[in-house]
Amino acid sequence: MNRRNFLSLTGTFTGGSLLLPSFLHAFGQQPSLVIGEQCLVFIQLNGGNDGLNTFVPYDNPLYYDLRSKIALSKDVLLGKNNGMGFHPALKDFANMQQNGDLSVLQNVGYPEPVRSHFRSQEIWQTATDSNTYANNGWLGKYLDLKCNDHEPTAGINLDNIDNLALKGDEPNSITVKDPNRFKIKNEKEEVGKLSDNPQLDFVRKIANSVMEGSEDIQKALAKSTAEVSYPKTNLGKNLEWIARLVKGNLNSKVYYTSQNGYDTHDNQLNIQNRNLTELNDAVASFYSDLKNAKLMQNVTVVVFSEFGRRVKDNGSGTDHGTAAPMFVIGGSNKGKVFGNNPNLSDLDNGDLKHEIDFRSVYASLLHDKMNFDARKIGIKNAGFKGLF
Amino acid sequence: MNRFGRCCVAAVNRISLLKNRFGQNYLSIIKPYLISKVLTLNFQILVMNRNTLWSLRLGFSGKEAQKIETLGLQKFLEQSFATKVDKKEPDLLVDSPKTKAELKAARQLMKTTDDEDAVKKILRKEIQVSQKLKEWWLEKMMDEAFPLREKMTCFWHNHFVSTYQKVKVNHWVFQHNQLLREQAFGNFKTLTKAVLKTNAMVRYLDNVDNRRDKINENLSRELLELFTLGIGNYTEEDIKNGAKGLAGLTIGETNANYRKLLENNDTITYFGKTGTFKADELVDIIFEQKAIPYFVTRKILKWFLYDKPSEELVTYYGDYFRKVNFELQPLLTKIFTEEYQKNISGSKIKDPLVYILQLKYELKIEKMNTRVLTFFLKQQGMDLFNQPNVKGWNGGNEWLSSQMYLQRNNVADLLCSGQPLNRRRKYMSDEMMDENSDTMLRVSIDFDANGTNKTIIAQLSERVLFQTDDSMQKDFEELLKYDFNPKSEGAENAVLRLFNTMVKLPEFQLI
Repeated sequence: MNRRNFLSLTGTFTGGSLLLPSFLHAFGQQPSLVIGEQCLVFIQLNGGNDGLNTFVPYDNPLYYDLRSKIALSKDVLLGKNNGMGFHPALKDFANMQQNGDLSVLQNVGYPEPVRSHFRSQEIWQTATDSNTYANNGWLGKYLDLKCNDHEPTAGINLDNIDNLALKGDEPNSITVKDPNRFKIKNEKEEVGKLSDNPQLDFVRKIANSVMEGSEDIQKALAKSTAEVSYPKTNLGKNLEWIARLVKGNLNSKVYYTSQNGYDTHDNQLNIQNRNLTELNDAVASFYSDLKNAKLMQNVTVVVFSEFGRRVKDNGSGTDHGTAAPMFVIGGSNKGKVFGNNPNLSDLDNGDLKHEIDFRSVYASLLHDKMNFDARKIGIKNAGFKGLF
Repeated sequence: MNRFGRCCVAAVNRISLLKNRFGQNYLSIIKPYLISKVLTLNFQILVMNRNTLWSLRLGFSGKEAQKIETLGLQKFLEQSFATKVDKKEPDLLVDSPKTKAELKAARQLMKTTDDEDAVKKILRKEIQVSQKLKEWWLEKMMDEAFPLREKMTCFWHNHFVSTYQKVKVNHWVFQHNQLLREQAFGNFKTLTKAVLKTNAMVRYLDNVDNRRDKINENLSRELLELFTLGIGNYTEEDIKNGAKGLAGLTIGETNANYRKLLENNDTITYFGKTGTFKADELVDIIFEQKAIPYFVTRKILKWFLYDKPSEELVTYYGDYFRKVNFELQPLLTKIFTEEYQKNISGSKIKDPLVYILQLKYELKIEKMNTRVLTFFLKQQGMDLFNQPNVKGWNGGNEWLSSQMYLQRNNVADLLCSGQPLNRRRKYMSDEMMDENSDTMLRVSIDFDANGTNKTIIAQLSERVLFQTDDSMQKDFEELLKYDFNPKSEGAENAVLRLFNTMVKLPEFQLI
């Protein structure tokens, strides 16, 4: 089966509603440009985002007791409801929730949490138990099983380095370091020297042209335009390209990108504010772009970090912790807040105890959006109910 | 410490201070500072360990790096030159026709029999022997303690090209190959004479059809154009006359020899000399020509060191080659020891052989199907005993096209995750296969378990990449973060991923 077949087939399988003729489509008022093609977009916040200052339990006095230096006052929080409110930088997250397009899953984590960035990211990316080690990522395994031939653009990673989550046996995903590179293709060859080593320049030029699937990407880019202006940040740029690829009907199943800088041991208020502003603005542009294109119901954005941070501050920052909220945007999710508010009195060595296993969210994403049984890739957790 | 040094140290101290203060975002804060204050501070470019680099150049992987370091390059070369050649014919040839009588019988059988299957069977058997011969050679390249002889044999193999495709007699192909091995470090002139007298060469370049009154110029032409002087250093008359001298040199029992009846004994003029010349005399005259040392010297420089050697270097070493009467040992010693001092890297694109054997060595893959390796080489345009034409592999930029690069990367991905190249994993009824199943290759990688993420990155870079810069370093540190614990379970997987990333970089393609 070739990629087109696989992707259109899974498209028709995915979610019962999609079997409806497009003019009866339950979500868009008009038929969408892409009919029934679901995709997942992951935004990984590197460094361990402090969940308690992202989605804030402002009604809990312990929050203010334990975080005397860095607690956010109730007045600045947005979208307050049931004792929880968004960080002031996340104004569009609050709006999206109001619109019913954003769900918050609270206290997401896994048993026997590891507080090493390195290892915890590995666990999130392989979806294994914290004492199991795997070579391939959960999305890579999924794509291995779904793509019979290898499909180079079934997964797109916009990052400097390959992502373990997408690593499988077959090359079903590609890493695009600088999407701008695709823009200049077919135009004039770059002129001038790149380095003082002509052999290196030659190999680099080849390396730039070897991306398998780059033609598909070219086509998708040619079909789409940027109608919304995105912030000129790394994440903004990456999400803009993802939007263009989705709008251009590239039909990738998974997009992955990341944002750095969440390791706030110090000076947390400033740094997190800056990071969350970048996150909010980039996601907001992406959201309105795909809303305009009537595609947001087909695109599920997942925002997560490898762990949350210690409940008690260490002065002006926080140390590595465990459970944290996870955000799901679009893809016709239910737009609710799931799970209990963080329990700040029952801690495990000063850290939150997780209540929702991230793998149950993965299972639900695969099942509800991709019509795929997560047990086939070794995820034993039952899918999280009610998200979609 | 000079002023500049102090400035650098001050800058570095300031940077780490900022890093502590601002966490991961320190770079954006210090950027203006860097630009204003430390414009002259180039971030360090790390280069490959010199002995690893030379192990790759003089062999096929990093295997000899330690040896070069311990012995020193000079001694390493001496010991390489002194290696003995195993005179024994490999067993794989035992059933192949060897003597003229055996060959004649086989030919006769194929001609007379009506049984097409029998003919096919004979042909297929010889193709299989030829395949085994490739594997035999490849194993030699991998196993020799001093593989420089095999590297040089392969150089001659690509200089005095003679392919199985055309020669079709495995014994002759082997004899030709063995001659190149025995005389790998001998004398260029002697070797040229000997090569002309191999059955393989007289067959390959059609001298079997070069007869007294029915001249075939092929061997005469390539002798001048591709084996010795190079284009522009002879005339068409020289080729015609040389062909007369070579007429009648044809298949013999073990070596090619002149057959009286087929010789052409006309008086000829060859490079201004007049007389009746046979193969040896022709070669003697060729080696009196001014241009003789440069063509092959340029090729040697290309084979070992530079895709585009400068003409100054070619002249410099070429003149020396003539001075030492075309003896290879002094020439190679001079080239290698003098170029070693220059500390140049990234001047040559790896050929497929070095590419795959280095991966195999670094990943410590013991049981790798040699047949699959030969298949990879073929796919990558370096089929042993089977160059596309008499000019041989051109090398350099021709080793890489986007297709080849992509294939290299795919192969790197497969090997790094322990998958053999010969079979795709099958998914039984939609289920995952066990990652430890026995179809997998055992791969592992050397790294210092007492190191930190940075020391491990440095260690690997030094072994794998001809150079790394600051931005690559940053990417590597995202893969192997500062809190990476090399002693933890599963740590090797992470190092393998780092290695996998490195070997897909352009910097891995160069030595």
